[in-house]
Amino acid sequence: MDSYSIKTLDELKEFLYRAMQLEHATIPPYLTALYSIKPGANQDATQVLRVIVVEEMLHLTIAANILNAIGGKPDLVRPDFVARYPAALPDGETDFKVGIQAFGREALATFLKIERPAQRPEHLVGKGLIYRKTPPDITALASHPRHEDFHFYSIGEFYSAIAEGIKYLEAEAHGAGTTIFTGDGSRQITSEYYYSGGGELFPVTDLKSALEAIELIIEQGEGDGGGIYEDDDHELAHYYRFEELVKGRYYQKGDQPGQPTGPHLQVDWEGAYPIKENLKVEDIFEGSELREAAIAFNTRYGEFLQLLTRAFNGQPSLLLEAVPMMFEFRNMILELIRNPLPKHPGKNGSPTYQIPGGIKQPAVTRQAEVNA
Amino acid sequence: MLFPLESAIRADAKTVAESGDYDIVIVGSGISGAIIAKQAAEAGKRVLILEAGTGANSTLAGYDNLLTTFYSAASKDNQSPFPLNANAAIPRSPQLRKLQAGETDSSNYIVQSGPYVSDTVYTRIFGGTTMHWEAKTPRLLRSDFTTRTLFGQGLDWPLSFEEVEEDYRLAEREIGVSANVEDQQYLGQTFPDDYVFPMRGIPLSYLDQQVNKGIEGTSVELYDKTYPLKVRPYPQGRNGIPNPAYDGGKGYRPIGAVDTHQVEEGGRCQGNTNCVPLCPVQARYHSGKSLAKAFAVSGERGERLVELLPQAVASKVNIDPDSGKVRSLSVKIYKDPASPAHETITVKGKIFVLAAGAIETARLMLASGLRSTSGLVGRNLMDHAYLLNWALMPEICGTMRGTSSTGGIVDLRDGPFREKQAAFAIDIHNDGWGWATGAPTSDLLELVDDRNLYGADLRRGMVDQVSRQLLLAFMIEVMPVESNRISVDPQYTDALGNMRPILSFTVPEYTMKGAAYGRQFARTVFARLGARDHTHYDPNDYGYVAYEGQGYAIRGGNHLAGTHIMGTTKTNSVVDKNQRSWDHENLYLVGGGSMPTIGTANVTLTLAAICFRSGRNILKSLH
Amino acid sequence: MTSRFEPFLGLSAELTAFSHFDLLGTGLAETYLATLDKVVGGEITDALLAAFTALPPPESKARIQAVRTTILGNELLGDVARALIKLWYSGTWFELSSAWSERFGPRPANITFVVSPDAYIEGLLWKAIGAHPAGAKGQGFGSWAFPPKIPAFAPALDFQNLT
Repeated sequence: MDSYSIKTLDELKEFLYRAMQLEHATIPPYLTALYSIKPGANQDATQVLRVIVVEEMLHLTIAANILNAIGGKPDLVRPDFVARYPAALPDGETDFKVGIQAFGREALATFLKIERPAQRPEHLVGKGLIYRKTPPDITALASHPRHEDFHFYSIGEFYSAIAEGIKYLEAEAHGAGTTIFTGDGSRQITSEYYYSGGGELFPVTDLKSALEAIELIIEQGEGDGGGIYEDDDHELAHYYRFEELVKGRYYQKGDQPGQPTGPHLQVDWEGAYPIKENLKVEDIFEGSELREAAIAFNTRYGEFLQLLTRAFNGQPSLLLEAVPMMFEFRNMILELIRNPLPKHPGKNGSPTYQIPGGIKQPAVTRQAEVNA
Repeated sequence: MLFPLESAIRADAKTVAESGDYDIVIVGSGISGAIIAKQAAEAGKRVLILEAGTGANSTLAGYDNLLTTFYSAASKDNQSPFPLNANAAIPRSPQLRKLQAGETDSSNYIVQSGPYVSDTVYTRIFGGTTMHWEAKTPRLLRSDFTTRTLFGQGLDWPLSFEEVEEDYRLAEREIGVSANVEDQQYLGQTFPDDYVFPMRGIPLSYLDQQVNKGIEGTSVELYDKTYPLKVRPYPQGRNGIPNPAYDGGKGYRPIGAVDTHQVEEGGRCQGNTNCVPLCPVQARYHSGKSLAKAFAVSGERGERLVELLPQAVASKVNIDPDSGKVRSLSVKIYKDPASPAHETITVKGKIFVLAAGAIETARLMLASGLRSTSGLVGRNLMDHAYLLNWALMPEICGTMRGTSSTGGIVDLRDGPFREKQAAFAIDIHNDGWGWATGAPTSDLLELVDDRNLYGADLRRGMVDQVSRQLLLAFMIEVMPVESNRISVDPQYTDALGNMRPILSFTVPEYTMKGAAYGRQFARTVFARLGARDHTHYDPNDYGYVAYEGQGYAIRGGNHLAGTHIMGTTKTNSVVDKNQRSWDHENLYLVGGGSMPTIGTANVTLTLAAICFRSGRNILKSLH
Repeated sequence: MTSRFEPFLGLSAELTAFSHFDLLGTGLAETYLATLDKVVGGEITDALLAAFTALPPPESKARIQAVRTTILGNELLGDVARALIKLWYSGTWFELSSAWSERFGPRPANITFVVSPDAYIEGLLWKAIGAHPAGAKGQGFGSWAFPPKIPAFAPALDFQNLT
C-alpha cells in the first residue's frame, strides 16, 4: 500500500473519470486515420480500424458503467475531457505522443504503442510511479490525479491501480457493513443500446462485475499476455490486429505472437489523404470554408459529448440518438480531409477536436420510437 | 464469435465424387439448404452442399466486391451486384420486352411467352436469393392455411397454422427477426404469452409516419364490412436492437456474417436503403450467416461436417428404377464462369435435398424426367403480383432513407372479401418511386435536361421532387393455378447444356380483381393524404394486363412458390407435409415450391419454418 | 493546381449550387475535370471554362442570363454543361445525345458510365435531399424515423478563390 494507492471513493471516481478520458482519447486518432484512407484502398486496414473504434466506444461506455456503479456522475463535457493533441501517454520511463494524423506507418507505430503499453523490466517491479514533468499545454493521459507529475508506468498499471482501489474500498465498506456499489442500476448501459462487435456490454453492480469490466478493457487492448487469441471466441486483441497490418499477414489459431501465418493482406501505405498532423483551427486560413467546417465539426462533436453525458446520467436510450451523430461525423470528417489546406501546399484539412466549452444540448427532435 | 477465415471447407470435385458417405447432399446454399445443413451438422451428420455460383462472396472481400460491382453499375437493377455467369445464369429484369400473345422470347435465361411477361428474379450465388432479399418477414395468417375451406379459393395446406407456429419461432430466431409482438397482433395473429421477437421492432420511417397521420382513424368499406386503416411496422430480418426479454430473459445475440474473420457479425442496420439488392454491412440476414455456423460444427474427430462445393451445377437426379430412390446426382463442375468447359461428376449420399428455389428445383426435376405421380412438378407456379401506385406527398417526407420498407398498410390481408377477390398487403417504399420510375436518377435527368434547372433552382427542385415521393406497392395474393407453370424443352439450354426454365404465367382473374380494387384503394389513400397521384401504366409495359377496361402493369414479387406443392396424397401433390417426395423416399424438395398458397406474406419466413420441420424429419429417417 | 482547376471548380459551383468546400469534399473534382477532358476533349473543356470565365461578375443580374445564353444554351457547350451537372449529382457520365455527336463529332469515350465506385457514393443529389446513396453512407440506426436534415445553401453563389 503506497502513497499513490486509491484510498477514497472520491479519488476512485476521479480515476474512473480519467479512465473515460483515456478511452475517449484514442477515438479521435483512430477515427481520423480510418477516414483518411482513400476510397477503394486498404480494405483490410479499414476493417481493422472500424472494429477497433467500435471497441474503444465500448471501453468508454464500460468505464462509465463502473463510475455509475459507485455513484459517480460521468461528465464528458468537463473542459479537460477531450485531450489536446498531441497528448502524452505513459510508456515506461518515458512517454509518447498520440496525435491526429493520417493512416500510415507512423500512425500505426503509435497505435501499437497505445495498445501494448510497456512491461516493467524485472529490476523495476514493485517500484512506484515515474516522475516526469509534463508541459502545461500537453494533456497527460492516465496520470495520477493527486500527483500530476507522477505517471503510471503503463496504461495497464493505471487500470491495476483502479482495480486495487475498488477492491480496497469495497473491502473497507464491507467491513462497515455497506458497499461502494450504491449507484442506481437504471443508469447502467446494457448491450441492447450497444452492439456491433467487440463483446458484450454488461451492467456493473458489484465487485465481481466491476473487475470483469476492467479485465475486458485491458484484454481487448493489450491482450492478456498469453496467447494472441483470448479464448474459444478467438478474438484478437487490438495490438495483434494492428500488428497484422504491419506484418501484412493475418493471424490464425495456433500462431505465436509476432509470427502470423494466416493469409496475406495488402496495405497501401500511400493510400491515405495527406492531412496536416495535429491541425488546429487557428492554423486554418481565416474566412475559409474549411475553417468554418472545422469549427462546425467541433461544435457538433461537443453536442455529441453532451448527449453521451446525458445518456450516461440516467437516460441510456439517448445513446440511440448518438448513433446517427457518429455517422454524421464520418461525412464531416471525409469532407475536411479531402479539402486542401489553404497556404499549406500538399496538405489537406482535418478535424481538430478542439471542443468549445458551453455547448448547449443538441436539438433533439424527438426520442427514437424504439425506446419502449 | 469469430469464425476461421475460410470457414467453409471447399471440397474438391474429385474427393466429392469418390466419397459415398455423405448423409445428406443438398443442392443450393440459400436459406432452405442452410437451415437443413445446420440442423444436420448439429446432429453430427455429414453434409455436402452443391452451389451453382462461384462462392466468391463467401469471403468478406468477395462480398465487398459485389458491393463495388453495384456501385459501378450504370444500371442499378436488383441483380446489378451479381456478376454475369452463363454457367449459373440468373434472370435480369432490364432485359425484358413486351411480348404479343403466343410470342416466345428465349433471349433471356428464363424463356417466356406472351402476352404476360414476369420480371421475377432469383439469385444463383452463395447464399441464394437471401443475398438480395428485402427481408420482410411476416407470417402467413391462420386463414391462409385453409383458403379452400374458408373462401373456396386456392388450396388448403396439409398443415395447420398451429403445426407450423413453433417452427415460425425457430425461423424467427434463425433469421434474427426484429419486430414487436404488439405490432403484429392484427387480423387474428396470436403469439404465445411470453413470446418476444429476437430483436425489437425497426422504427417506422418518417415517411411512414406522415402517411399514418393522414389515414389513421379512417377506414374503407368492402362488401359491407369496415376495415380501419393504419400504418404498421413490418417484421424484418435485419439486425436491430436485441430484446433482453427474448428466450425467457436470456436475450438474443446476432451472430454470423460471411467470413467472420474480421467482422464478427453483420452490423446493426444503418439505413442504407439497399436491402435489395445488397446490404453493405450484412445487417440484413442472408443464409451465409446460418452457413457460417454450420461450417463451424465439428464431428467427433474434429473434422468439419459441412462441405461446400461451389461451381457445381446439379444437372440430373438419377433414380434407381427398382426402389424409386435417388441413387445419385449428376453434377457439372465448371472451372471458370467465363467458359462452358466442365466435367461431370456423380455425387452419392443417403438423403438428397433439392433446395434450389421454386424455379430451379422444378427445372432440375423436369430436366431429369421426373414429373411425379401427380404430374404437378412445375405446376401451380405462384409469385405475388405487385401493383405500384405512386404520388407526391404535400410535404417533404425525407424519402430515400431507411430500410427499403419499414411499414405498410396490412389491414386488407384478410376478410370475407377473399371469397371474391385477392387480399393484399401494401408496402410503403422508403426508396421512393425507384421501382416504378427509376427515381431519383430519372428525376435528375428530367430536371436538368427537360426543365433546364441548374444551381440553386436545381437543388430546390431535387428536394421538391424526390423528398416527397410516396410509392405504395400492393403485394397481391396469387392462388395456385395448374396452368401457371415451369417447364423445360431440349431446344432451350444454357451454356452447360442444362435445360433452361420456360415460364408460362397468366395473372389469375381473382388476383386482377384484387389489383383493380387496389388501384381504387390507392386513389382513396392519396386523396386522404392530399398527395398528387402520378401513377400511370404504359400499354407497352412487358407486365401490362388489361382487366375490365382498365390496364395495369403487374410486377413480379420474387416470392416464388408452388412448383412442387405439398399435399395430403401422392395424387394431389408432389411432396408430403415434411417436404418429402411422394415418389422418391430419400428425396426432399424444399423451399417455396412446397407452399400450396402464399397469402399476403413474403415467402421466406414460412419456407424457412417448414425447412426446420423437414430437417427433423430427415434426421429421423437417418436413424 | 493548374490554371484550369479553379475555373472548373467555379463553373461546377455555379452549375450545382454546391460550394467549393462541398465539391472538393467529394474528393472527385480533379477526376471530373479529367473525365471532361477524356470524353469531350481538352478543346471543348477549355471552351466551356472560357465561357465561364467570361461571365459578368457574380451578383449581377446579367450573370444568370449569360449562363443561359453562353453556356447552357450554347449549341456546343450546353449538353456538355448539363452532362457535367449530372456527373456531379450522380457520379455518372450520361452519354451525350446522338444529335450532339452527329454535329460535333463522335467521341469514343462518350458512353454512359459510372466514373468510379466512390463517384456513385459521392453523388451530390443525395446530399441535396438530406439522404444518402442507396447502399452507402447510411445515416445510422433509427435516423430514418426523424425528418430529413436538408442542408441549407446560399441562393446566390459567390465565387471565391480560397486556395
